[in-house]
Amino acid sequence: MNLIVSAIGQGLLWALLGLGLYLTFRILNLADMTVEGTFPLGAAVAVTAITHGFSPLAATLLAFGAGMLAGLVTGLLYTKGKIPFLLAGILTMTATYSVNLRIMGKSNISLLGQKTLFSGSFMTSLPQYFDSVVLGMIVIAIITLLLIFFLDTDYGQSFIATGDNPVMAKSLGIHTDATINVGLMISNGLVGLCGALVAQSNGYADVNMGIGTIVIALASIIIGEVAFGELTLSQRLVAVTLGSIIYRLILLAVLQLGFSANDLNLISSIVLALCMMLPQLDKLFHIRKPFFKGVQTND
Amino acid sequence: MKRMYTVIAILLAFLGVAYFKENGGIVKQAKPKVGVLTLMHHPALDQIYKGFVHGLAKEGYHNGKNITIDYQNANGDQSNLKTMANKLVNENSTVLFGITTPASQALANSTKKIPIVLGAVTNPQGAGLVKNNKRPGGNITGISDQAPVKEQLQLVHKFMPHAKTLGIIYTSSDSSAVTEYKEFMKYAKQMHLNLKAYSISNSNDLNQVSQQMLSEVDAVIVPTDNTIAGAMQTLVKNANAVNKPVFPAVDTMVKQGGVATYSINQYKLGVEGGKLTADILKGKKKPSTTAIKYIRHGEPVLNLKQARKLGLHVPASFQREAEKYGEVIK
Repeated sequence: MNLIVSAIGQGLLWALLGLGLYLTFRILNLADMTVEGTFPLGAAVAVTAITHGFSPLAATLLAFGAGMLAGLVTGLLYTKGKIPFLLAGILTMTATYSVNLRIMGKSNISLLGQKTLFSGSFMTSLPQYFDSVVLGMIVIAIITLLLIFFLDTDYGQSFIATGDNPVMAKSLGIHTDATINVGLMISNGLVGLCGALVAQSNGYADVNMGIGTIVIALASIIIGEVAFGELTLSQRLVAVTLGSIIYRLILLAVLQLGFSANDLNLISSIVLALCMMLPQLDKLFHIRKPFFKGVQTND
Repeated sequence: MKRMYTVIAILLAFLGVAYFKENGGIVKQAKPKVGVLTLMHHPALDQIYKGFVHGLAKEGYHNGKNITIDYQNANGDQSNLKTMANKLVNENSTVLFGITTPASQALANSTKKIPIVLGAVTNPQGAGLVKNNKRPGGNITGISDQAPVKEQLQLVHKFMPHAKTLGIIYTSSDSSAVTEYKEFMKYAKQMHLNLKAYSISNSNDLNQVSQQMLSEVDAVIVPTDNTIAGAMQTLVKNANAVNKPVFPAVDTMVKQGGVATYSINQYKLGVEGGKLTADILKGKKKPSTTAIKYIRHGEPVLNLKQARKLGLHVPASFQREAEKYGEVIK
């Protein structure tokens, strides 16, 4: 039972990563590789700030800012430098590796004995693993509401229009370059924030912790979409969080079933591939009708 | 949409029940359980685990008979470490064994009560795992994999007493390598040796950086560095091209074309870890008062074939020592 609580807590914390990528991957229709660099960047900034005496909250907000900067760099490379988007993201991701080493001064910093967002008296009074559940819920609720509010404003609508059809958006007088830059900043800010929270929950920042994060983010988005079908935009944001939780529960189940840990990467890829192929499999075998009604493929 | 609300309701209901459920009832286990957490597969890390199992067996603890070993490997993905550490802690492991720094940190962050034994953490104090390497204080102790740096520098000096400049190359993101590089610099200063540092960020940089380095130095030192260990052939090829020797910190790197070293045997390190774990299981030792153990005396390893190829004069005393206590590659 405790392990399930732990998995839910982890899912809530990692959901920020999925939400961040959702803005670029689904709404702006761009696959942003920057996140593999921004995630450890957020962790590096937060942990370094904390060890230098910043309050955990200030350190976490700094991580958000650092993520936004990284997003802006990718955005400028793409919009002003005319570098293909995938490449722009990879360039920033590669560069942040050196930046992270510079920030931390070494490859791994521990938070043992330091104050974090999880060490307040309220957090430590909770039952085991409920600290990440409570903090995750609070952060996710605030971020999801802010995103819903943002996407509902005129600016947010122009943001969505840019992703749907950039040419049309431009003809309507939307500065698509600016909206893309802002979108990337918000998205990577959230990823940096996620890195900061995960580092505080894990108790360390490591320069290699970004490896594989993009798969985790995609898993949250895709599992959320496949599991819950046709939803409004704001409901879809909630689905990302649920997708992230389900992904952690699947991993836990795999571990509990006693699969060799060597096969873990293979299994998580298979789970993800099956989820992504579900619309195709459905066409062939009509497997979904009895279980899922009206699932939207959403691509 | 309905399905989404159902899932949210189920999750919340579950969390509600879990919140109020008493967590006191720890099940007494008949067999003690040893949890092992490692970051990834790597020849050296796998050797430590094998040694660990053997060390436990030497002390009378056989996996499956009177203890259960739960081995978890995160496959290089650090996001798995937390879940695996929680799993090991939750299943009431009696003692935990962490291989690599991130794995040990994940364990340390999951429990303050269950004893943790560190394997292959070069500097536990520097990694924030213990308050003090001599008196850990908490629930953590272990074996450091720091190579006998001073012995190695003396060895290089023995081989090349007239060398003007030595070069050291390491990976800047490998915390063990960085710790050892700093130790090397410290001792080099004490011994008045001119040691110049070069760093790479991944194995792809090695070719170019090592060529640059070899044009500036007389011999090369390599600390315990996973990245360079994996790309040792590149370094050796470049060094042979200019007829300069490489002195690595690890025996496997000597076999791949290094000249000589005093190396820590990873397998033996694992055995020591297993013995320490057994002592804790028996209640003979407590982590808080057990100092981090360093393996002071490395095993002499000499690659005679390589030394002859480079026309190096091999100190006779070292060759005898290697023949007697260590390994000579001919």
